[in-house]
Amino acid sequence: MSTSTVEVPYLNISDPSFAMQSEELRTAREQSWYARTNFGLAVLRYDEVSKLLKSPKLSQGSAKWPAHNGVHGGLFFDWWTKNLLVLEGEDHHRIRRLLNPAFSPRLIKELVPRFQALANELVDAFIDKGECEFIRDFAEPYATRVLTILLGIPESEWPKIARLASTVGLALGVTFKQDLDKVEAAVAELYDYAEELIRDRQANPGEDFVSRLVLASRDGDRLSDEELRNALVLLIFGGMDTTRNQLGLAMQSFIRNPQQWELLAERPDLGGKAVEEVMRTNPTVTWVTREAVEDFEYQGLAIAKGTTVHLFTQSSGTDPRAFPNPEMDLLGEHAPHYGFGGGVHHCLGHFVARADMSEALPLLASRLANPHLVGGDEWLPDSGNTGPIRLPIGFTKRS
Amino acid sequence: MRTIDVDRSLCDNHGQCAIAAPEVFRMNTDGVLEYEPTFDDALLDEVEEAIDVCPVQAIFLKD
Repeated sequence: MSTSTVEVPYLNISDPSFAMQSEELRTAREQSWYARTNFGLAVLRYDEVSKLLKSPKLSQGSAKWPAHNGVHGGLFFDWWTKNLLVLEGEDHHRIRRLLNPAFSPRLIKELVPRFQALANELVDAFIDKGECEFIRDFAEPYATRVLTILLGIPESEWPKIARLASTVGLALGVTFKQDLDKVEAAVAELYDYAEELIRDRQANPGEDFVSRLVLASRDGDRLSDEELRNALVLLIFGGMDTTRNQLGLAMQSFIRNPQQWELLAERPDLGGKAVEEVMRTNPTVTWVTREAVEDFEYQGLAIAKGTTVHLFTQSSGTDPRAFPNPEMDLLGEHAPHYGFGGGVHHCLGHFVARADMSEALPLLASRLANPHLVGGDEWLPDSGNTGPIRLPIGFTKRS
Repeated sequence: MRTIDVDRSLCDNHGQCAIAAPEVFRMNTDGVLEYEPTFDDALLDEVEEAIDVCPVQAIFLKD
């Protein structure tokens, strides 16, 4: 029972009109560090999100997602229950230790020239038109082709990878049960793809990312073929939609902040800061979910074992207690955001995402002046992972 | 023996170092990092992994 006398706000987070960047949420955040919701607790302020995200009293809590949706077996179920996202304790740590070296920031840096060439190639295709559909023409091919570069597969195969990643992503939506057949077929296709890739690198190991995973060992331990396959599927599943959506949200943020866009065009060295500021103020992952592993008390609030706790990223990243000037500011010095989650489940691929987006954004700014909305944009809901589905923009070509 | 330094102004207690090199780094029951500033040369590989994997790049190897 809460000993607090302050009235606790209530948020209906599954209402399609629920908005993260709203007066309702800001008012709730002023009222209390947490809100009750129709689906567990929501944590709204920076310090509390930071602490609870890394608290040993909370686990990742998504393991039961298929079961909650009435899915109790099949390919997706098997993959989901064995993937790094939902593993805990030593089972998680063992896989993470074996995967981590391939994601080293030193190794990712070597790919930067290819990210730059890719971004330029995509911009070349629409720059003279003065308009583009930013998701179709840039964000989606960029995010997916970065994955093909990482996996060492032909970049021409990106539409297939994009389609499979999006289809498997339906499993995280509210219509998962209806989409189950499509999801299962996509997982089967991704399995075949991943298994072929693994066989190829086992036979012909090189210096590339997949070879490093295939060869990864620690204290005589290695990833099994099944663990390798599951990891590659996770990379595709977790790496495409997120980066595509985040790039779309970045464009939205800069359209709202034209001086920041001009600053980025003049100062490409601020690419890294641009990524951090966009993810702090306008993250695609709007909340990170955890579940209480035991009964515990936090700031006078009794949290029972099994309670679902949503850690709100955008709300925490713009909390005036931690950010007195919460607006996006590429020259500001700000505390770290939690757009990549945190704690033991901190996003595995964040160095890749940071590296590719910090190249893409200044390059876009250097070539497109005055980006603006021209209408026809379509958006995902604000719950869970958000972003534009379609984002038609106009701009002026810089000479 | 080798020596490391953790920049506490950067460290955000994610605990990835404690996964990579549990002999040198651990998270206490409050979720706060504790570590051994000096460690045996035999652990250098895993400490380098911890340095690499730190999301905020707060760990530094001293000469």
